[in-house]
Amino acid sequence: MTFKWRSFKNYRLMTKLIFTYMLLTVLPMSLIGYVAYSQYTKSIEEQVGEYIPKVLDQANESIDYYLADVKQLPDLLYNSNQVIEVLRKDSYQNKSSLLQDRFIVNSYLTRTYINGEADVLGAFILSKNRLFESSKIPYSGFGEDMLPFGQDLELKGKQSFLLPSQVPLSFKGNPPYILLMRQITDTENRMNLGTMFIAVDLSFMSNVVENLETVNNADLSLLSEEGQMIYHTDSEKIGSMDEQFQKYPEINGSFRTTGEEENRLISISRAGPDGWVLLHSVKLKNLTERTDLVRNATIIVFLVIILLGTLISVILAWTVSRPIHRLTHQMKEVEKGNFEVDVTSNSSDEVGMLAKSFHSMVAKIKDLIRLNYQIKLQQKEAELYALQSQINPHFMYNTLETIGMAVEDGENDTVVDMVSILGRMLRFSISNKEKMVSIDQEVQHMKDYLTIQKIRFEDRIEFTISDPMDTKRFLTPKFILQPIVENCMKHGLDHSHHFKVKILIEIQDQEVHFTVKDNGPGINEDVMSELNKYLQMDPMGRRDSKFGLINVHGRITMMFGEQYGLRIESKGGIGTEVTIRIPLLPIDLLHEGERAN
Amino acid sequence: MARRTVTLVGLFILVFVSGCNTTTSNKGEFEVVYSKGNVKGETEKIEERQYTIAIVPKLVNIPYFNAVEEGALEAGEELGVKVIYKGPTVADSTQQIKVIEELIDQKVDVIAVSANDPDKLVPVLKRAQRKDIKVITWDSDTHSDSREFFINMVNPETLGRHLMDTLAWNVDETGEFAIITGSKSAANLNVWLNWIKVQQREYYPNMKLVEVVASDDDPHKAYMLAKDLLAKYPNLKGIIGNSSVGPPAAAQAVKEEGKMGEVAVVGLSSPNPMNEYLKVGAAQVVTLWSPKKLGYLTVALATNLVDGVHPSNQQDVPQVGRIHVIEDTVIMGEPMDFTKENVDQYDF
Repeated sequence: MTFKWRSFKNYRLMTKLIFTYMLLTVLPMSLIGYVAYSQYTKSIEEQVGEYIPKVLDQANESIDYYLADVKQLPDLLYNSNQVIEVLRKDSYQNKSSLLQDRFIVNSYLTRTYINGEADVLGAFILSKNRLFESSKIPYSGFGEDMLPFGQDLELKGKQSFLLPSQVPLSFKGNPPYILLMRQITDTENRMNLGTMFIAVDLSFMSNVVENLETVNNADLSLLSEEGQMIYHTDSEKIGSMDEQFQKYPEINGSFRTTGEEENRLISISRAGPDGWVLLHSVKLKNLTERTDLVRNATIIVFLVIILLGTLISVILAWTVSRPIHRLTHQMKEVEKGNFEVDVTSNSSDEVGMLAKSFHSMVAKIKDLIRLNYQIKLQQKEAELYALQSQINPHFMYNTLETIGMAVEDGENDTVVDMVSILGRMLRFSISNKEKMVSIDQEVQHMKDYLTIQKIRFEDRIEFTISDPMDTKRFLTPKFILQPIVENCMKHGLDHSHHFKVKILIEIQDQEVHFTVKDNGPGINEDVMSELNKYLQMDPMGRRDSKFGLINVHGRITMMFGEQYGLRIESKGGIGTEVTIRIPLLPIDLLHEGERAN
Repeated sequence: MARRTVTLVGLFILVFVSGCNTTTSNKGEFEVVYSKGNVKGETEKIEERQYTIAIVPKLVNIPYFNAVEEGALEAGEELGVKVIYKGPTVADSTQQIKVIEELIDQKVDVIAVSANDPDKLVPVLKRAQRKDIKVITWDSDTHSDSREFFINMVNPETLGRHLMDTLAWNVDETGEFAIITGSKSAANLNVWLNWIKVQQREYYPNMKLVEVVASDDDPHKAYMLAKDLLAKYPNLKGIIGNSSVGPPAAAQAVKEEGKMGEVAVVGLSSPNPMNEYLKVGAAQVVTLWSPKKLGYLTVALATNLVDGVHPSNQQDVPQVGRIHVIEDTVIMGEPMDFTKENVDQYDF
């Protein structure tokens, strides 16, 4: 079960939805339908099962009533003294008187029974080896020798009914009949005169059962005590045995078969005369014929509803799972790196919202990736620029020339200094693995640069660097000061013989401010406005920066945001002041970052 | 995957829906839907104790009561009851009382009596009733409070008038006639006698009843009385035997006196004793019912009574036929006439 549940849990959402829907609709519907139908059928069965035995009892009564009349028939014989006289006679007589007797009795039988009683097929008297007979239709099989039921049969005054199967008598056309057998007693002499047989047509049964039979094609049969069919609505079965008769419950009532191909409801009335049993058998199928229409209609409606339900559930599941499925697919695409997916969704439901969110997320990621990419590119450019400026052939050439001159002059100390400074600068430049360095390293680098320049230009340059802060504890992007200072030098040295540059590094409002101040000619207004235009432009648009200043500004804004960067103030003739603002970056951050990486 | 699940669900539904057709497969079993109660097996009937029915005639060893005995014993055999047929040797109420007392001591179920004296038998019959013995009368009645019902053979009025008629046919409705009755105390004989007289007065003014003599059902005495009558009334045209010993005695006397054809003999008698007399012409017609049938009917009705069934009008008694019941009197049937033509048919 747990396994099944787990595997069910792992089914797709659509499957689950369909399954759940089915469970919620089909199950209760089929349950209600089944219960309603079975209860209805059962109540019909019960009603019929209760009603039919009552009708059967009535039918039994009318059969009883009818047979009571039939049983009276032999008594009519006593009405004729002449006949009784003949029967009392010994059979040892001459032929003519025997034939005369036969004439007397036969004509009496004809008058009384054949013409008088509608249902009598034939009347026979066996008396002292004489046979008297009269019949309505030709018969065969009834002779003097026929009977195990001899003429001297001791019925003790009782009468009994014989079934056609018990006697060889048969009438032309094989009408169903019963044979009433009755001992003729000479009540005066207390002697047995013989046995009378009256064959009674069973057509009266068809009147009795007519009303019953028409109901739902039922079978009606009259069985003897032993289960032999005295009468059956199917005339071919008359005389055969009902094999199951002995197994039927010993009740007056109704029961139904359970093991047959087509089960039947059998009603039984055992109240008949002579232990006869009236059996009414109807197929349950026929009984519920009318309800079958209802059932079929219900099933059709049920199926239609299920079909519709399934369709709806599939569509519902589809509309829920399809966008999710599409979203999943697109997420997979995005996962693979393809951000050019179309996640548009028209719906505003949860899935639509999810799609929209995903869409905006992808867009943002796309932007971020681009941004990040550009920052990287910018940085690489900036680094390249810095590197280029660091190993500027002019700078190298100039420096080496200065060293050469110093060697000529024999200023060994200066040479040693310059070589070691140059070496340090080269190492700083080369070691560009870290984008960030501590402020003091950057300041040291700047100091080295300016020192070399000062050696070269001697008194034409004056510089001061002040850093009223713990520069070792904070970080700064690499190469942000050199492009500024270089720029100052380039312009300042051209116009001034005594160039002064001041560098101030301080903490203000949780920011680190690098201020480079010179006494150069300042920047004229055209250049200034151009610069400002550049500075205010989207940093992404300045990949190919012409100016070191803008390169630095771009890198800082890319790294820290628009609020940081460069600010340039220039006054014609007085000088220029460039302030670089970066956030306060404690050195721990670097370590943490390294650790995180 | 989804398709498979859908198929599974569909299958599940199909099984569920078709649930209404699945049945328990207990073959040959039946499920009772409605029952008005079980049918009790016939074997449950308790084997009943055999009834004992005592038939007491007026006397034994005359043909009439011998025939009754035959019928009663036949009925006992057929109905499965024990029949005790016991009566006095002469038609005397004192002896009859003794017989009844013996039967009371035997603790029989029913005593059926043909009473010799309606009054004298009352105490003993009441005693029997107190001992939970059912008492009925047949042939000759007693007081109605000392028995359950009376089985009369024929309607007494019909019989009495018919006896008178049979004589009238044979004497051309004129002349003197005498009656030999049985016991003067026998109630049935007196009723018939009365109706004979009524019929004579109403229709036959030319006929004259000269004397009624009582034979006490003694054949010899009856014969002597007949001879006396013939001697005493030379113009006598006919004799009616009002009890069964009368006609044979009268016929014998007529035959012996050579008065065949002169004196007509009719009356109540069985056909067997009268067979010869009828054939030679010493007697013309005798009238009776079947005493065998009477014996049979008495036993049959007595058996029913023990079972608590009283006779009802138009009841069809097996081997007997329909009976009539008027108040507490059962009438067995119509009287039969025996003549020389049909007397051979009867055997009692």
